[in-house]
Amino acid sequence: MLPKSGEVAIGVPQTPQQAASYRVESTSSSSPAARPEMDGWVYFARRAEEAGIDSVLVALNRYEPDPLVVSCALGRATKQLKFIAAYRSGLMQPTTFVQQVNTLSGLIEGRIDLNIVAGSSKLEQHGYGDFLSHDERYARAEEFLAVCNAFWRSNGEVDFEGKYYRVEQGKLNTPFLAPDRTAPEIYISGHSEASEQLACSQGTCWLRVAETPEKLQPVAARVRARGIRICLRLGLICRPTREEAVRAAEALLPKDREENTTRLKDDSQMYKEGAAVASDAYWLSPFLWAGLVPHYGPVWTTLLGSPQELADAFIAYKQIGVSEFIISGWPEDDEVEIFGQKVLPLIREAERKHPC
Amino acid sequence: MLPKGGEVAMKTAQETNRVLTTRSTSPAALPDMEGWVKFARCAEESGIESVLLSFSRYEPDTILIACAVGRATRKLKFIVAYRMGLMQPTTFVQQINTLSGLIGGRVALNIVAGSSTAEQHGYGDFLEHDERYARAEEFLGICRSLWSRDGEVDFEGKYCRVERAKLNTPFIAPDRDAPEIYVSGHSEQAQRLALTRGSSWLRLIDGPEKLAPLVSRFRDQGIEVSLRLCVICRPTHEEAVRAGVAMLPDEEIGKQERDILSKSDSQTLKQALAAADDVGWLNRNLWAGLVPYYGSSAMTLLGSPQGLAEIFLEYKRIGITQFIISGWPKLDEMLIFGREVLPLIRRAEAPSKEAANVRRLKRIGKSTGVT
Repeated sequence: MLPKSGEVAIGVPQTPQQAASYRVESTSSSSPAARPEMDGWVYFARRAEEAGIDSVLVALNRYEPDPLVVSCALGRATKQLKFIAAYRSGLMQPTTFVQQVNTLSGLIEGRIDLNIVAGSSKLEQHGYGDFLSHDERYARAEEFLAVCNAFWRSNGEVDFEGKYYRVEQGKLNTPFLAPDRTAPEIYISGHSEASEQLACSQGTCWLRVAETPEKLQPVAARVRARGIRICLRLGLICRPTREEAVRAAEALLPKDREENTTRLKDDSQMYKEGAAVASDAYWLSPFLWAGLVPHYGPVWTTLLGSPQELADAFIAYKQIGVSEFIISGWPEDDEVEIFGQKVLPLIREAERKHPC
Repeated sequence: MLPKGGEVAMKTAQETNRVLTTRSTSPAALPDMEGWVKFARCAEESGIESVLLSFSRYEPDTILIACAVGRATRKLKFIVAYRMGLMQPTTFVQQINTLSGLIGGRVALNIVAGSSTAEQHGYGDFLEHDERYARAEEFLGICRSLWSRDGEVDFEGKYCRVERAKLNTPFIAPDRDAPEIYVSGHSEQAQRLALTRGSSWLRLIDGPEKLAPLVSRFRDQGIEVSLRLCVICRPTHEEAVRAGVAMLPDEEIGKQERDILSKSDSQTLKQALAAADDVGWLNRNLWAGLVPYYGSSAMTLLGSPQGLAEIFLEYKRIGITQFIISGWPKLDEMLIFGREVLPLIRRAEAPSKEAANVRRLKRIGKSTGVT
């Protein structure tokens, strides 16, 4: 995950708590997240390249700069890293979207992929001029991508008449330019039935939040059977031991909540028990924790542990057919370095010993 | 005018014609950073202020090109052509604002209501010419509200609707909080749109006496007028004319060109073609002869350096402030313009040192040198 603008503090040590509070405040219009800031991004992108990271996800929302334009600037300043630009259908005509993505591919050696999101909160979509309901947004995304894929697959003119889009003799001279393919990868994210369907019909990869391998196994098998890859989003906290990782994770819980809990603990046995049950339920497995989710959102479902434990966890996912991971950390740049130095070599070693 | 992909390497005018550059095998379809950066740096050295990036289905997207070339330059501004009906206004503003923050605010807009009906249908736009202007009015209304950063934007029109629209990323520039908006087109609707939503009306060059009354109408309402034209500058007028005639394409290509152009429903192009057919020469220096083959912006001013400098000054006197210039080849003609013509104009603008400070304010063009 590409850090937000201004999130990377070059040369200044940043605690996970500072990174977290930056995130929480990033939707305020006074946050540096609103203004493109190349130095931090380039610094991060180069560390990611050094760490052996293949791609970064660039988010789209009304609080931050546009991901296609950001990918263009950043792609021009890097050599290997790929950019997965998030975009929503309903923001532009598919022909225009393809023209932009193709142009971008030609400017950054094809290092562009897409994360198509059907929509976001109603409020935010209304600001973008989109007034469809959740289910309709998926129907529209289906049409949107059908038109896009028609452009990428055909050399001739594109004709399409659907409920949401209509294109007649659509033609773009600028092709998708990449050394190894003729269209971008399309990651479809979401947990709903509709998103899984969309991933299978128009996407190349289904992107969802991490769950335990046991729970994911049947879903993964189903999606893989249709030729679609699986990518997981997760937060990562790697420390020398699991205990240290857990402490680091718990330190990210908002302070006032901790204080409340402590205060209430003295008064209420019932609350104490309730809190205990809730916290237990947050542990999806010994290494997968959802405790940050209520505070930072579902993508902060966090894998934590020692380097060896994490490497084992990634391999377990690989064994059930997950082939990609979009990882976030606190702060992003430190965790990317830890991952590259400590975890990735163990994974590669395990792969060499037991090739799947 | 920024050259098309591959154009900087082309040696003859004929290679740059529309029949060839709209073929899907043309290098015009591919981003050409090497050629563009070379051209952009030469433009900066030639004293050119801005370049126009043209939008069509035959070429790469203008916003992304402006981003890539803008990151590789320091001073040059990019006038990004875009059409209405291609994206939501909120998304458009988000992209433009992002771009502004990445290239030091060096972005302006050239808003075109639409182009040929066939091309618009390929983009999913099925409105008629007049309706396209009505939509552009709404579209730019929302854009302007978002740029004014005065809280959330609500708008409900016939073509565009947004509710509580808000973008955290502002337009970022040292001297302004919204881009300049050039509205192009000759139709009555285009003129009205320029007056209500634009900062400059962009039109084809015509004789100064014909333009004078139109120009005052805009200037009176605080809107600038910019002209599009081509320039052929040679040591003498005769040599310039010979060079112009040598740029006519062979007959077969000429026919195909004419065929492409006749499909456009642009008022501008219709008028320019009529001028080419009727008279050819609008005056001693202004020639429409290349329009049928290179498009409406091929209305060409030709002459010697001194002759051209005087003509530019004449346009300045009637109130024209900016010129968007093309040539064949673009790079060579720009270098000639910067070396031979521009110094004569600047010298005429500031004849004495004492007057220089006052006159500097009145120099042609915040940019004579839009190209």
